Amino acid sequence: MAHSDSAATVHITDEEIDHICEEFGNREGAVVQILQTIQEKYGYVPAEVLERVGDDLGIPHSKMFGVLTFYSQFYREPRGKFILKVCVGTACHVRGAGLLVDKIKENLHVEEGENTEDMLFTLEPVSCLGSCALAPMAMINGNTYGKLSGDKMVEILHQLKDESSSEPVSEANPAS
Amino acid sequence: MATQTVEEMAAGLFHDVAIPTIHIGMATCGLAAGARSIEELVVKELEKRGIDARIVPTGCIGMCHNEPLVDITMPGKYRVSYRNVKALIIPQIFDAHFVKGEFAKKYAVCQIPIAGHTAYEGLPLMAETGFFKGQVKIVSSRCGLIDPSSIDDYIATNGYKALRKMLTEMTPEIVIDEMTKSGLRGRGGGGFYTGLKWKLTRQSPGEEKYVVCNADEGDPGAFMDRSILEGDPHSVLEGMLAAAYAIGNAKKGYIYCRAEYPLAIKRLRKAIDDARERNFLGDNILGTGFSFDIIIKEGAGAYVCGEETALLASLMGERGMPWPKPPFPAQKGVWGKPTVINNVETLGNVGHIILNGGDWYASYGSEKTKGTKTFALTGSIKNSGLIEVPAGTPLRSIVFDIGGGMLEKKIPFKAAQLGGPSGGCIPASGLDTPVDFENVIAAGAIMGSGGIVIMDEASCIVDTAKFFLKFTQDESCGECTPCRVGSKIMLEILTRITEGKGQEGDLDELIRLSMYVKSNSLCGLGAAAPNPVLSTIRYFREEFEAHIRDKHCPGTVCANLIKYVVIEEDCTTCGLCEPVCPTGSVTWDKGEVAHINLETCIRCKACVDACKFRAII
Repeated sequence: MAHSDSAATVHITDEEIDHICEEFGNREGAVVQILQTIQEKYGYVPAEVLERVGDDLGIPHSKMFGVLTFYSQFYREPRGKFILKVCVGTACHVRGAGLLVDKIKENLHVEEGENTEDMLFTLEPVSCLGSCALAPMAMINGNTYGKLSGDKMVEILHQLKDESSSEPVSEANPAS
Repeated sequence: MATQTVEEMAAGLFHDVAIPTIHIGMATCGLAAGARSIEELVVKELEKRGIDARIVPTGCIGMCHNEPLVDITMPGKYRVSYRNVKALIIPQIFDAHFVKGEFAKKYAVCQIPIAGHTAYEGLPLMAETGFFKGQVKIVSSRCGLIDPSSIDDYIATNGYKALRKMLTEMTPEIVIDEMTKSGLRGRGGGGFYTGLKWKLTRQSPGEEKYVVCNADEGDPGAFMDRSILEGDPHSVLEGMLAAAYAIGNAKKGYIYCRAEYPLAIKRLRKAIDDARERNFLGDNILGTGFSFDIIIKEGAGAYVCGEETALLASLMGERGMPWPKPPFPAQKGVWGKPTVINNVETLGNVGHIILNGGDWYASYGSEKTKGTKTFALTGSIKNSGLIEVPAGTPLRSIVFDIGGGMLEKKIPFKAAQLGGPSGGCIPASGLDTPVDFENVIAAGAIMGSGGIVIMDEASCIVDTAKFFLKFTQDESCGECTPCRVGSKIMLEILTRITEGKGQEGDLDELIRLSMYVKSNSLCGLGAAAPNPVLSTIRYFREEFEAHIRDKHCPGTVCANLIKYVVIEEDCTTCGLCEPVCPTGSVTWDKGEVAHINLETCIRCKACVDACKFRAII
């Protein structure tokens, strides 16, 4: 997932939006994929971009807004450089995922779904990432971390902080 | 037996291979356990020693608790599996194989037989180990053995043979007959007969039909479909091809996969590209005039999209809201056309059934649930992982034989949660329940898609019911009132109970609301949402009452209801609990039993975790 580097807003020209919509043949049925493509490129879907997509596809703004807000993986605001997806599925819950989330909240002074002030982290508890044998686990920018504890999590947060102060974050991909 | 044995399957993978092979488990669970860095270390070690070997990534063989897993196959020998491989033990394993010509006994789990190769002495065969004994692998048979990104590995293990057989020897009607004979029922949890579903879609008039694979596995605690997609993606494509051929007039299929599974999506993309290149997908497949192609659609995060009509709505770019049936997808599905929608595991079984016959598949399983079922076994259990057993296997055998029993020996079994947010809890008295569709329902849960979460006595049943209800409440799409509002009120009551504010009559009200939500919700999500509540009240009413009347949480999970005390008899006066308390509520003097001041205690559990003698409860 690509992110604009800690910028509060991004600039996407209308031409760029039109181009993405055209790639999908301006089909109404492809609206979810179009929004996914935009988000992958820019990190979130700003309001004016959503409107433009609606105009391109001939979909009323109300419906566009309905689709965007229905799915938990669309964002209307910029997000942090590191997305802390902490699994709170059943197996992780049973093995203490709640404490993990609390530890992050305490350490980074954020609530669920919020960004840190420096836009470095976003805390995003998610339901089941499917690695239950390694519970509790988390996925950070596509990298998986298993058998976590509160202390381990804090260690990882420190590592990520250090990394980002020395170099720009690399595109993490678990499947490469 | 018509089907290919593990030995024969494995032999196909080592045909013409004269150098050692090192398999590394690279499914999501393996990667989370550090498989990537193990791979780097293995490469370095090979270079250092100047050994020419091939490194092959594989999917999940099921032993997730043993990840990272590394297998070594020397030419002509059986494949040896090593568990929990760490940097330090790699040189030892290499010494054993490459210097001494044996295996590293200390770290080996088992050996996987290969036809034509020879065994090592003193190491159990895979099928003899506790975890695999009792398992029958059909749909997961290739997972962990083959390289999921290699179409050649798939073909070497009988892959696309069913497609060839079907297109050259079978009419669509015969394919449907075999599916009907197999008795295969929807493995996503619905349990509808696959043969019948295909037949109905075939009978539905239409010049244009669609095949949809439901890969939106959203139940927390379930990862069967992920393991199949990551470990054997081609089998799902082959199943979709069979469905397309059987229903007729289907040129296009969709795989709707949840976005939380990036590796599964990557594997599918590669599989589809490779299958197109070899003409197993595309136009005029294998020169037979049959054409079919598959497109992947990524979900955007909505649990309700696992429900078939909601999934179809989402596929067409709408909000993922379910629609009332009829019309069924077999009549009006994608773009209003007749559509077959099957789950990943269902489709993964199809190739095996076509190749070996419906009767062969039906020879496994119980009376009404034929064949095998995969389960994701997790929670407080020793061997967490992916298992596949004949339907009807007793729960006891899953938990204590295959699962190896409880994670912590001293804490006994309390309940098994089956079927995720739509399921329920089965207590110790139900351990002899045969796990198939009917018997699990009779026990108050559902087999569902196959998540089994084991809970021990240290867990709280009320908290579990609350957990699942919170999940469904969050994921309720909001379309119908019983689900949207009913689940919210139920959650409020449960939350109150866990906070020590429960009242007399709460349980009756919960049951009343449950029945209402169950019978009046629009789709399966709402109709099943009260299940976790009903089943837990049925079996653990006393525990609910302890929360309500005594303001006591027997599992010591609900923070507001915990009163930590030191048991004098068990306290060894070691003092480990004192320094860990962040509020100074634990007082201790040398040689004295520790004391906890409940006024200042914040129930952080630090002292409980610090006590090695379980003297604080």
